[in-house]
Amino acid sequence: MPSEPLPPNPNREFILSALRQNTRLDSRALDAYRPISLRFPSDPDTYGQTDVRIGKTRVLCSISCDVGAPYPDRKFDGVFSITCELGPMGSPSWEIGRQDQTEIVLSRLLEKTVRRSGALDTESLCIVAGQKCFHLRADLHILDNDGNLLDTATLALVAALLHFKRPDVSVEGEEITVYDVREREPVKLTLTHTPFIITTSFYPSQHRSDHDLIAVLDTTLEEEQCRSGSLAISLNRHGEVCNLAKYGSCGLEGLSVLTAVNMALDKAKMFDRLVKERLDEDEKMRAEVFGRKGVDLSAENERVMERPVG
Amino acid sequence: MPLDSSIYTLSALRLDGRRWNELRRINGQISTQQAADGSSYFEMGNTKIVCTVNGPQEQKRGGGRDQSNEAKVEVEIGIAGFSGVDRKRRMRNDKRIQEMQYTISSAFQNTLFTHLYPHSTIAINLHVLSQDGSLLAACLNACTLALIDAGIPMSDYIAACTTGSMASYADKEDEADPLLDLNGLEEQELPFLTVGTSGGEDKVSVLIMETRVQMARLEAMISVGLDGCKQIRSILDGIVRAHGKKVLESKVS
Repeated sequence: MPSEPLPPNPNREFILSALRQNTRLDSRALDAYRPISLRFPSDPDTYGQTDVRIGKTRVLCSISCDVGAPYPDRKFDGVFSITCELGPMGSPSWEIGRQDQTEIVLSRLLEKTVRRSGALDTESLCIVAGQKCFHLRADLHILDNDGNLLDTATLALVAALLHFKRPDVSVEGEEITVYDVREREPVKLTLTHTPFIITTSFYPSQHRSDHDLIAVLDTTLEEEQCRSGSLAISLNRHGEVCNLAKYGSCGLEGLSVLTAVNMALDKAKMFDRLVKERLDEDEKMRAEVFGRKGVDLSAENERVMERPVG
Repeated sequence: MPLDSSIYTLSALRLDGRRWNELRRINGQISTQQAADGSSYFEMGNTKIVCTVNGPQEQKRGGGRDQSNEAKVEVEIGIAGFSGVDRKRRMRNDKRIQEMQYTISSAFQNTLFTHLYPHSTIAINLHVLSQDGSLLAACLNACTLALIDAGIPMSDYIAACTTGSMASYADKEDEADPLLDLNGLEEQELPFLTVGTSGGEDKVSVLIMETRVQMARLEAMISVGLDGCKQIRSILDGIVRAHGKKVLESKVS
Protein backbone atom coordinates (compact mmCIF):
# COMPACT_ATOMS: atom_id res chain seq x y z
CA MET A 1 0.00 0.00 0.00
CA PRO A 2 1.61 3.25 -1.04
CA SER A 3 -0.02 5.51 1.50
CA GLU A 4 -2.16 5.25 4.54
CA PRO A 5 -5.86 5.46 3.57
CA LEU A 6 -7.44 8.63 4.86
CA PRO A 7 -10.48 8.33 7.12
CA PRO A 8 -13.79 8.56 5.29
CA ASN A 9 -15.51 11.93 5.24
CA PRO A 10 -18.23 11.13 7.80
CA ASN A 11 -15.55 10.03 10.29
CA ARG A 12 -13.60 13.18 9.65
CA GLU A 13 -16.62 15.42 10.11
CA PHE A 14 -17.56 13.60 13.28
CA ILE A 15 -14.12 14.02 14.81
CA LEU A 16 -13.99 17.72 13.89
CA SER A 17 -17.47 18.51 15.18
CA ALA A 18 -16.78 16.58 18.39
CA LEU A 19 -13.64 18.65 18.94
CA ARG A 20 -15.63 21.84 18.49
CA GLN A 21 -17.74 20.66 21.39
CA ASN A 22 -14.66 19.86 23.44
CA THR A 23 -14.98 16.09 23.23
CA ARG A 24 -12.82 13.38 21.75
CA LEU A 25 -13.72 9.89 20.65
CA ASP A 26 -12.24 8.31 23.75
CA SER A 27 -13.65 10.98 26.11
CA ARG A 28 -10.24 12.36 27.00
CA ALA A 29 -9.62 16.01 27.79
CA LEU A 30 -8.06 17.92 24.91
CA ASP A 31 -4.71 18.05 26.69
CA ALA A 32 -4.74 14.59 28.26
CA TYR A 33 -2.39 11.82 27.26
CA ARG A 34 -3.45 8.23 26.79
CA PRO A 35 -2.17 5.74 29.36
CA ILE A 36 1.61 5.60 29.12
CA SER A 37 3.48 2.39 29.85
CA LEU A 38 7.27 2.42 30.09
CA ARG A 39 8.98 -0.90 30.60
CA PHE A 40 12.59 -1.92 30.91
CA PRO A 41 13.88 -5.43 30.27
CA SER A 42 13.51 -7.83 33.14
CA ASP A 43 16.89 -9.42 32.40
CA PRO A 44 19.31 -7.91 34.94
CA ASP A 45 22.23 -8.00 32.49
CA THR A 46 20.53 -5.96 29.80
CA TYR A 47 20.65 -2.19 30.02
CA GLY A 48 19.31 0.43 27.68
CA GLN A 49 16.22 -1.16 26.23
CA THR A 50 12.80 0.34 26.58
CA ASP A 51 9.35 -0.61 25.44
CA VAL A 52 7.10 2.42 25.50
CA ARG A 53 3.40 2.49 24.83
CA ILE A 54 1.26 5.60 24.66
CA GLY A 55 -2.20 4.22 24.08
CA LYS A 56 -1.74 1.77 21.23
CA THR A 57 1.34 3.41 19.76
CA ARG A 58 4.33 1.25 20.62
CA VAL A 59 8.02 1.99 20.19
CA LEU A 60 10.98 -0.16 21.13
CA CYS A 61 14.36 1.45 21.67
CA SER A 62 17.64 -0.35 22.15
CA ILE A 63 21.02 1.22 22.91
CA SER A 64 24.25 -0.58 22.22
CA CYS A 65 27.83 0.53 22.24
CA ASP A 66 31.07 -0.41 20.68
CA VAL A 67 34.62 0.93 20.77
CA GLY A 68 35.91 2.62 17.66
CA ALA A 69 37.73 5.62 16.28
CA PRO A 70 36.24 9.10 16.62
CA TYR A 71 35.56 11.38 13.67
CA PRO A 72 38.77 13.13 12.61
CA ASP A 73 37.28 16.58 13.01
CA ARG A 74 35.84 15.77 16.44
CA LYS A 75 38.70 14.19 18.30
CA PHE A 76 37.32 14.68 21.78
CA ASP A 77 33.81 13.44 21.13
CA GLY A 78 32.34 10.00 20.94
CA VAL A 79 30.01 8.93 18.17
CA PHE A 80 26.30 8.76 18.76
CA SER A 81 23.93 7.69 16.01
CA ILE A 82 20.18 7.23 16.01
CA THR A 83 18.40 5.00 13.52
CA CYS A 84 14.66 4.60 13.20
CA GLU A 85 13.09 1.67 11.56
CA LEU A 86 9.58 2.02 10.27
CA GLY A 87 8.47 -1.38 9.07
CA PRO A 88 5.20 -2.93 7.98
CA MET A 89 4.56 -4.01 11.56
CA GLY A 90 3.93 -0.44 12.53
CA SER A 91 1.73 0.51 9.65
CA PRO A 92 0.82 -1.26 6.40
CA SER A 93 1.96 1.74 4.37
CA TRP A 94 5.55 1.57 5.61
CA GLU A 95 8.11 -0.46 3.70
CA ILE A 96 11.57 -1.25 4.95
CA GLY A 97 14.25 0.49 2.94
CA ARG A 98 11.96 3.08 1.41
CA GLN A 99 12.34 6.47 3.00
CA ASP A 100 8.97 7.80 3.93
CA GLN A 101 8.34 11.45 4.79
CA THR A 102 7.36 10.30 8.27
CA GLU A 103 10.69 8.60 8.70
CA ILE A 104 12.65 11.67 7.64
CA VAL A 105 10.72 13.94 9.99
CA LEU A 106 10.92 11.47 12.86
CA SER A 107 14.62 10.79 12.60
CA ARG A 108 15.51 14.46 12.03
CA LEU A 109 13.49 15.62 15.03
CA LEU A 110 14.94 12.91 17.25
CA GLU A 111 18.44 13.84 16.14
CA LYS A 112 17.89 17.52 16.70
CA THR A 113 16.25 17.01 20.06
CA VAL A 114 18.68 14.54 21.52
CA ARG A 115 21.90 14.96 19.57
CA ARG A 116 22.07 18.57 18.49
CA SER A 117 20.80 19.97 21.76
CA GLY A 118 23.66 18.25 23.52
CA ALA A 119 21.46 16.12 25.76
CA LEU A 120 24.02 13.35 25.63
CA ASP A 121 27.47 14.51 26.65
CA THR A 122 29.54 13.03 23.83
CA GLU A 123 32.79 14.13 25.44
CA SER A 124 32.21 11.58 28.16
CA LEU A 125 32.28 8.88 25.50
CA CYS A 126 35.84 9.68 24.57
CA ILE A 127 38.48 7.19 25.74
CA VAL A 128 41.69 8.37 24.13
CA ALA A 129 41.40 11.62 22.21
CA GLY A 130 41.74 11.10 18.50
CA GLN A 131 42.14 7.33 18.72
CA LYS A 132 39.46 5.51 20.63
CA CYS A 133 35.99 6.41 21.69
CA PHE A 134 32.67 4.76 22.30
CA HIS A 135 30.31 4.43 19.36
CA LEU A 136 26.87 4.62 20.86
CA ARG A 137 24.05 3.43 18.69
CA ALA A 138 20.37 3.89 19.35
CA ASP A 139 17.95 1.78 17.34
CA LEU A 140 14.29 2.58 17.43
CA HIS A 141 11.66 0.28 16.06
CA ILE A 142 8.14 1.52 15.62
CA LEU A 143 6.04 -1.50 16.37
CA ASP A 144 2.64 0.09 16.17
CA ASN A 145 1.49 3.46 14.91
CA ASP A 146 -1.66 4.87 16.43
CA GLY A 147 -0.68 8.52 16.30
CA ASN A 148 1.77 10.66 18.24
CA LEU A 149 4.90 8.84 17.13
CA LEU A 150 7.21 11.72 18.02
CA ASP A 151 6.31 11.84 21.69
CA THR A 152 6.50 8.09 22.08
CA ALA A 153 9.79 7.73 20.22
CA THR A 154 11.50 10.51 22.18
CA LEU A 155 10.26 9.09 25.47
CA ALA A 156 11.63 5.68 24.51
CA LEU A 157 14.98 7.10 23.40
CA VAL A 158 15.52 9.31 26.45
CA ALA A 159 14.45 6.60 28.89
CA ALA A 160 16.76 4.11 27.20
CA LEU A 161 19.67 6.55 27.37
CA LEU A 162 19.03 7.10 31.07
CA HIS A 163 18.86 3.35 31.64
CA PHE A 164 21.85 2.31 29.58
CA LYS A 165 25.18 1.49 31.19
CA ARG A 166 28.34 1.36 29.15
CA PRO A 167 31.28 -0.88 30.04
CA ASP A 168 33.84 0.63 32.35
CA VAL A 169 37.17 1.50 30.80
CA SER A 170 40.61 2.28 32.18
CA VAL A 171 43.53 3.84 30.36
CA GLU A 172 47.13 3.25 31.44
CA GLY A 173 49.55 5.06 29.18
CA GLU A 174 48.83 3.60 25.76
CA GLU A 175 46.89 0.59 26.98
CA ILE A 176 43.13 0.73 27.10
CA THR A 177 41.26 -1.94 29.00
CA VAL A 178 37.55 -2.28 28.42
CA TYR A 179 36.05 -4.29 31.24
CA ASP A 180 33.31 -6.78 30.69
CA VAL A 181 30.06 -6.23 32.58
CA ARG A 182 30.90 -9.14 34.82
CA GLU A 183 34.34 -7.83 35.75
CA ARG A 184 33.40 -4.31 36.66
CA GLU A 185 30.10 -2.59 37.21
CA PRO A 186 29.12 -0.72 34.04
CA VAL A 187 28.84 3.04 34.07
CA LYS A 188 25.79 5.20 33.36
CA LEU A 189 25.83 7.73 30.57
CA THR A 190 26.03 11.44 31.35
CA LEU A 191 22.98 13.31 30.18
CA THR A 192 23.14 17.06 30.55
CA HIS A 193 19.38 17.42 30.31
CA THR A 194 16.40 15.26 29.40
CA PRO A 195 14.37 16.64 26.50
CA PHE A 196 10.93 15.41 25.51
CA ILE A 197 8.85 16.15 22.44
CA ILE A 198 5.27 17.26 22.85
CA THR A 199 3.28 17.48 19.64
CA THR A 200 0.36 19.88 19.57
CA SER A 201 -2.16 19.39 16.78
CA PHE A 202 -4.46 22.12 15.56
CA TYR A 203 -7.98 21.87 14.26
CA PRO A 204 -10.22 24.55 12.77
CA SER A 205 -12.85 25.65 15.20
CA GLN A 206 -15.45 26.77 12.73
CA HIS A 207 -16.07 25.83 9.18
CA ARG A 208 -13.41 27.47 6.98
CA SER A 209 -12.36 29.87 9.65
CA ASP A 210 -8.81 30.60 10.61
CA HIS A 211 -9.64 32.08 13.97
CA ASP A 212 -9.28 30.19 17.19
CA LEU A 213 -7.63 26.98 16.25
CA ILE A 214 -8.29 24.21 18.76
CA ALA A 215 -5.10 22.83 20.29
CA VAL A 216 -5.07 19.11 21.04
CA LEU A 217 -2.35 16.96 22.58
CA ASP A 218 -1.62 13.29 21.99
CA THR A 219 -3.71 12.59 18.91
CA THR A 220 -4.65 9.12 17.76
CA LEU A 221 -3.91 8.16 14.16
CA GLU A 222 -7.40 9.03 12.98
CA GLU A 223 -7.30 12.40 14.71
CA GLU A 224 -3.88 13.04 13.19
CA GLN A 225 -5.15 12.47 9.68
CA CYS A 226 -7.86 15.10 10.18
CA ARG A 227 -5.69 17.83 11.63
CA SER A 228 -4.91 21.00 9.77
CA GLY A 229 -1.52 21.59 11.37
CA SER A 230 0.86 20.54 14.09
CA LEU A 231 3.69 21.97 16.11
CA ALA A 232 6.34 19.72 17.67
CA ILE A 233 7.94 21.27 20.74
CA SER A 234 11.04 19.73 22.30
CA LEU A 235 11.79 20.94 25.76
CA ASN A 236 13.06 19.75 29.09
CA ARG A 237 11.55 20.23 32.50
CA HIS A 238 13.55 23.43 33.15
CA GLY A 239 11.69 25.21 30.37
CA GLU A 240 14.53 25.20 27.87
CA VAL A 241 13.07 24.74 24.43
CA CYS A 242 15.50 22.74 22.29
CA ASN A 243 13.51 22.51 19.13
CA LEU A 244 10.40 23.88 17.50
CA ALA A 245 9.09 22.44 14.30
CA LYS A 246 6.09 23.63 12.42
CA TYR A 247 6.43 22.38 8.90
CA GLY A 248 4.22 24.78 7.04
CA SER A 249 0.62 23.86 7.66
CA CYS A 250 -2.26 26.07 8.73
CA GLY A 251 -1.52 29.63 9.78
CA LEU A 252 -1.03 29.85 13.50
CA GLU A 253 -1.06 33.00 15.60
CA GLY A 254 2.12 33.87 17.40
CA LEU A 255 0.28 33.85 20.71
CA SER A 256 -0.95 30.30 20.13
CA VAL A 257 2.64 29.16 19.78
CA LEU A 258 3.46 30.55 23.20
CA THR A 259 0.34 28.99 24.74
CA ALA A 260 1.31 25.65 23.25
CA VAL A 261 4.82 25.93 24.67
CA ASN A 262 3.41 26.62 28.13
CA MET A 263 1.15 23.60 27.90
CA ALA A 264 4.09 21.54 26.73
CA LEU A 265 6.12 22.48 29.80
CA ASP A 266 3.59 20.81 32.11
CA LYS A 267 3.69 17.68 30.01
CA ALA A 268 7.47 17.66 29.92
CA LYS A 269 7.52 17.73 33.71
CA MET A 270 5.02 14.88 33.74
CA PHE A 271 7.21 12.80 31.41
CA ASP A 272 10.25 13.57 33.50
CA ARG A 273 8.56 12.39 36.68
CA LEU A 274 7.31 9.26 34.96
CA VAL A 275 10.74 8.34 33.67
CA LYS A 276 12.34 8.93 37.06
CA GLU A 277 9.72 6.79 38.82
CA ARG A 278 10.19 3.90 36.42
CA LEU A 279 13.97 4.12 36.63
CA ASP A 280 13.82 4.04 40.43
CA GLU A 281 11.53 1.03 40.36
CA ASP A 282 13.83 -0.70 37.95
CA GLU A 283 16.86 0.07 40.13
CA LYS A 284 15.16 -1.46 43.13
CA MET A 285 14.17 -4.54 41.18
CA ARG A 286 17.69 -5.00 39.90
CA ALA A 287 19.20 -4.50 43.35
CA GLU A 288 17.06 -7.31 44.67
CA VAL A 289 17.86 -9.61 41.78
CA PHE A 290 21.52 -8.68 41.78
CA GLY A 291 21.70 -9.16 45.50
CA ARG A 292 20.40 -12.66 45.13
CA LYS A 293 22.70 -13.28 42.21
CA GLY A 294 25.69 -12.09 44.21
CA VAL A 295 24.97 -14.72 46.80
CA ASP A 296 24.59 -17.33 44.10
CA LEU A 297 28.00 -16.48 42.72
CA SER A 298 29.76 -17.27 45.96
CA ALA A 299 31.13 -20.79 46.51
CA GLU A 300 29.16 -21.40 49.62
CA ASN A 301 25.61 -22.39 49.00
CA GLU A 302 22.80 -21.81 51.33
CA ARG A 303 22.29 -25.05 53.15
CA VAL A 304 19.26 -25.54 55.24
CA MET A 305 20.34 -27.80 58.09
CA GLU A 306 17.27 -29.02 59.75
CA ARG A 307 18.02 -32.55 60.51
CA PRO A 308 21.01 -33.13 62.73
CA VAL A 309 23.70 -35.32 61.25
CA GLY A 310 24.14 -38.66 62.76
CA MET B 1 36.65 33.31 14.45
CA PRO B 2 34.17 32.96 17.33
CA LEU B 3 31.63 35.67 17.77
CA ASP B 4 32.61 38.24 20.32
CA SER B 5 29.27 39.24 21.74
CA SER B 6 30.71 41.56 24.36
CA ILE B 7 30.91 44.37 21.82
CA TYR B 8 27.18 44.14 21.23
CA THR B 9 26.14 45.59 24.55
CA LEU B 10 28.79 48.28 24.38
CA SER B 11 28.03 49.72 20.99
CA ALA B 12 24.54 48.33 20.25
CA LEU B 13 25.87 47.51 16.79
CA ARG B 14 26.47 44.08 15.32
CA LEU B 15 29.51 42.87 13.42
CA ASP B 16 28.17 44.23 10.16
CA GLY B 17 27.10 47.54 11.66
CA ARG B 18 23.38 46.78 11.95
CA ARG B 19 21.20 47.36 14.96
CA TRP B 20 19.21 44.59 16.58
CA ASN B 21 16.10 45.12 14.47
CA GLU B 22 17.55 45.82 11.06
CA LEU B 23 17.35 43.48 8.10
CA ARG B 24 20.28 42.91 5.80
CA ARG B 25 20.35 44.26 2.28
CA ILE B 26 17.66 42.40 0.36
CA ASN B 27 17.73 42.19 -3.39
CA GLY B 28 15.37 40.19 -5.54
CA GLN B 29 14.72 39.73 -9.21
CA ILE B 30 11.91 37.95 -10.91
CA SER B 31 11.84 36.13 -14.23
CA THR B 32 15.59 35.66 -14.44
CA GLN B 33 15.43 32.43 -16.50
CA GLN B 34 13.16 32.61 -19.49
CA ALA B 35 13.18 28.87 -20.13
CA ALA B 36 11.49 27.96 -16.86
CA ASP B 37 7.84 28.63 -16.12
CA GLY B 38 8.85 30.83 -13.22
CA SER B 39 12.18 31.90 -11.84
CA SER B 40 13.71 34.26 -9.36
CA TYR B 41 16.99 35.31 -7.86
CA PHE B 42 16.97 36.33 -4.23
CA GLU B 43 19.68 37.79 -2.03
CA MET B 44 19.47 38.24 1.71
CA GLY B 45 22.76 39.84 2.63
CA ASN B 46 25.31 37.32 1.39
CA THR B 47 22.88 34.45 1.07
CA LYS B 48 22.12 34.08 -2.63
CA ILE B 49 19.48 31.72 -3.98
CA VAL B 50 18.35 30.98 -7.53
CA CYS B 51 14.92 29.41 -7.83
CA THR B 52 13.11 27.95 -10.83
CA VAL B 53 9.59 26.59 -10.98
CA ASN B 54 8.24 24.16 -13.54
CA GLY B 55 4.60 23.47 -13.44
CA PRO B 56 1.90 22.61 -13.07
CA GLN B 57 2.93 19.68 -15.21
CA GLU B 58 1.98 16.07 -15.61
CA GLN B 59 3.07 13.73 -12.88
CA LYS B 60 6.32 12.05 -13.72
CA ARG B 61 5.49 8.54 -12.63
CA GLY B 62 2.58 6.41 -11.54
CA GLY B 63 -0.56 7.38 -13.43
CA GLY B 64 -3.07 5.83 -11.12
CA ARG B 65 -1.05 5.81 -7.91
CA ASP B 66 -1.88 9.24 -6.67
CA GLN B 67 -5.59 9.58 -6.09
CA SER B 68 -5.55 13.01 -4.57
CA ASN B 69 -7.28 15.78 -6.46
CA GLU B 70 -4.66 18.32 -5.61
CA ALA B 71 -1.36 19.24 -7.18
CA LYS B 72 1.77 17.99 -5.47
CA VAL B 73 4.58 20.41 -4.69
CA GLU B 74 8.01 18.84 -5.09
CA VAL B 75 11.09 20.69 -3.98
CA GLU B 76 14.71 19.99 -4.75
CA ILE B 77 17.54 21.91 -3.18
CA GLY B 78 21.07 21.87 -4.48
CA ILE B 79 23.70 23.54 -2.36
CA ALA B 80 26.77 24.49 -4.35
CA GLY B 81 30.11 23.30 -3.01
CA PHE B 82 31.48 26.84 -3.13
CA SER B 83 28.58 28.31 -1.17
CA GLY B 84 30.12 28.11 2.27
CA VAL B 85 33.41 29.09 3.77
CA ASP B 86 34.97 25.65 3.17
CA ARG B 87 34.43 23.82 -0.06
CA LYS B 88 32.15 20.93 0.73
CA ARG B 89 30.34 18.67 -1.68
CA ARG B 90 26.87 18.10 -0.27
CA MET B 91 25.27 14.81 -1.08
CA ARG B 92 21.73 15.16 -2.35
CA ASN B 93 20.18 12.76 0.11
CA ASP B 94 21.52 14.52 3.15
CA LYS B 95 18.82 14.32 5.81
CA ARG B 96 19.10 17.99 6.64
CA ILE B 97 18.43 19.00 3.05
CA GLN B 98 15.59 16.52 2.81
CA GLU B 99 13.99 18.06 5.86
CA MET B 100 14.34 21.53 4.33
CA GLN B 101 12.75 20.28 1.13
CA TYR B 102 9.87 18.83 3.11
CA THR B 103 9.39 22.09 5.02
CA ILE B 104 9.24 24.18 1.85
CA SER B 105 6.97 21.78 0.03
CA SER B 106 4.48 21.48 2.88
CA ALA B 107 4.53 25.25 3.38
CA PHE B 108 3.55 25.87 -0.22
CA GLN B 109 1.21 22.91 -0.34
CA ASN B 110 -0.98 24.90 1.99
CA THR B 111 -0.75 28.34 0.45
CA LEU B 112 -0.91 27.46 -3.23
CA PHE B 113 -4.32 26.78 -4.71
CA THR B 114 -3.45 23.19 -5.43
CA HIS B 115 -7.06 22.13 -5.88
CA LEU B 116 -7.06 23.93 -9.23
CA TYR B 117 -4.53 21.48 -10.69
CA PRO B 118 -5.46 17.92 -9.78
CA HIS B 119 -3.09 15.11 -10.64
CA SER B 120 -0.23 17.43 -11.47
CA THR B 121 3.12 18.36 -10.02
CA ILE B 122 4.65 21.73 -9.34
CA ALA B 123 8.42 21.23 -9.32
CA ILE B 124 10.53 23.79 -7.51
CA ASN B 125 14.30 23.76 -7.93
CA LEU B 126 16.49 25.78 -5.64
CA HIS B 127 20.18 26.43 -6.06
CA VAL B 128 22.12 27.92 -3.22
CA LEU B 129 25.03 29.93 -4.58
CA SER B 130 26.21 31.42 -1.34
CA GLN B 131 25.10 30.86 2.22
CA ASP B 132 25.60 33.29 5.04
CA GLY B 133 22.76 32.53 7.43
CA SER B 134 18.97 32.50 6.97
CA LEU B 135 19.13 29.72 4.40
CA LEU B 136 15.61 28.38 4.90
CA ALA B 137 14.13 31.87 5.06
CA ALA B 138 15.83 32.97 1.85
CA CYS B 139 14.70 29.76 0.11
CA LEU B 140 11.08 30.37 1.10
CA ASN B 141 11.23 33.96 -0.12
CA ALA B 142 12.88 32.97 -3.40
CA CYS B 143 10.21 30.29 -3.96
CA THR B 144 7.44 32.82 -3.37
CA LEU B 145 8.83 35.10 -6.06
CA ALA B 146 9.36 32.28 -8.54
CA LEU B 147 5.86 30.88 -7.98
CA ILE B 148 4.35 34.27 -8.60
CA ASP B 149 6.38 34.55 -11.79
CA ALA B 150 5.05 31.15 -12.83
CA GLY B 151 1.56 32.49 -12.39
CA ILE B 152 0.39 29.86 -9.92
CA PRO B 153 -2.40 31.28 -7.79
CA MET B 154 -1.76 31.40 -4.07
CA SER B 155 -3.53 32.78 -1.06
CA ASP B 156 -0.64 34.98 0.05
CA TYR B 157 3.13 35.44 -0.11
CA ILE B 158 5.18 33.40 2.31
CA ALA B 159 7.64 35.84 3.83
CA ALA B 160 10.29 34.40 6.11
CA CYS B 161 13.17 35.65 8.19
CA THR B 162 15.30 34.55 11.11
CA THR B 163 15.50 35.90 14.64
CA GLY B 164 17.93 35.13 17.36
CA SER B 165 18.48 35.81 21.01
CA MET B 166 21.48 37.68 22.27
CA ALA B 167 22.13 35.99 25.55
CA SER B 168 22.83 32.40 26.40
CA TYR B 169 20.42 30.82 28.82
CA ALA B 170 22.48 31.72 31.85
CA ASP B 171 22.31 35.48 31.45
CA LYS B 172 19.89 37.95 32.94
CA GLU B 173 16.60 38.87 31.31
CA ASP B 174 17.41 42.48 30.51
CA GLU B 175 20.50 41.64 28.49
CA ALA B 176 18.71 39.21 26.23
CA ASP B 177 17.82 41.30 23.24
CA PRO B 178 16.25 39.57 20.29
CA LEU B 179 18.12 40.04 16.99
CA LEU B 180 16.60 40.16 13.52
CA ASP B 181 18.05 38.49 10.44
CA LEU B 182 21.14 36.67 11.60
CA ASN B 183 24.16 36.20 9.39
CA GLY B 184 26.20 33.02 9.21
CA LEU B 185 28.56 33.74 12.08
CA GLU B 186 25.74 34.75 14.42
CA GLU B 187 23.76 31.65 13.50
CA GLN B 188 26.60 29.39 14.56
CA GLU B 189 26.92 30.93 17.97
CA LEU B 190 23.50 32.19 19.03
CA PRO B 191 20.16 30.41 19.38
CA PHE B 192 17.93 31.34 16.48
CA LEU B 193 14.69 30.44 14.79
CA THR B 194 13.26 30.77 11.29
CA VAL B 195 9.71 32.05 11.07
CA GLY B 196 7.58 32.35 7.95
CA THR B 197 4.25 34.10 7.79
CA SER B 198 1.46 33.89 5.30
CA GLY B 199 -2.04 35.27 5.12
CA GLY B 200 -1.86 38.03 7.65
CA GLU B 201 0.73 39.68 9.84
CA ASP B 202 0.31 37.42 12.78
CA LYS B 203 -0.16 34.07 11.07
CA VAL B 204 2.84 31.82 11.49
CA SER B 205 3.06 29.33 8.67
CA VAL B 206 6.55 27.92 9.20
CA LEU B 207 8.45 27.86 12.46
CA ILE B 208 11.72 26.00 12.80
CA MET B 209 14.07 26.30 15.73
CA GLU B 210 16.98 23.95 16.19
CA THR B 211 18.87 25.52 19.04
CA ARG B 212 18.24 25.62 22.74
CA VAL B 213 16.68 28.73 24.26
CA GLN B 214 14.83 29.59 27.45
CA MET B 215 11.06 29.66 27.18
CA ALA B 216 10.89 33.26 28.31
CA ARG B 217 12.96 34.46 25.36
CA LEU B 218 10.60 32.93 22.81
CA GLU B 219 7.98 35.64 23.01
CA ALA B 220 10.39 38.42 22.12
CA MET B 221 12.01 36.37 19.38
CA ILE B 222 8.74 35.45 17.74
CA SER B 223 7.30 38.97 17.86
CA VAL B 224 10.47 40.47 16.39
CA GLY B 225 10.34 37.74 13.75
CA LEU B 226 6.76 38.53 12.83
CA ASP B 227 7.66 42.18 12.46
CA GLY B 228 10.61 41.28 10.26
CA CYS B 229 8.37 39.11 8.11
CA LYS B 230 6.04 42.05 7.64
CA GLN B 231 8.94 44.10 6.30
CA ILE B 232 10.04 41.28 4.04
CA ARG B 233 6.55 40.83 2.70
CA SER B 234 6.37 44.46 1.65
CA ILE B 235 9.80 44.14 0.01
CA LEU B 236 8.66 41.05 -1.92
CA ASP B 237 5.48 42.84 -2.92
CA GLY B 238 7.55 45.78 -4.15
CA ILE B 239 9.72 43.48 -6.29
CA VAL B 240 6.67 41.86 -7.86
CA ARG B 241 4.94 45.13 -8.57
CA ALA B 242 8.08 46.72 -10.05
CA HIS B 243 8.46 43.78 -12.39
CA GLY B 244 4.81 43.93 -13.34
CA LYS B 245 5.09 47.60 -14.10
CA LYS B 246 8.12 46.99 -16.31
CA VAL B 247 6.31 44.27 -18.24
CA LEU B 248 3.25 46.47 -18.76
CA GLU B 249 5.30 49.42 -19.89
CA SER B 250 7.20 47.33 -22.43
CA LYS B 251 3.94 46.00 -23.83
CA VAL B 252 2.07 49.28 -23.94
CA SER B 253 4.72 51.60 -25.34
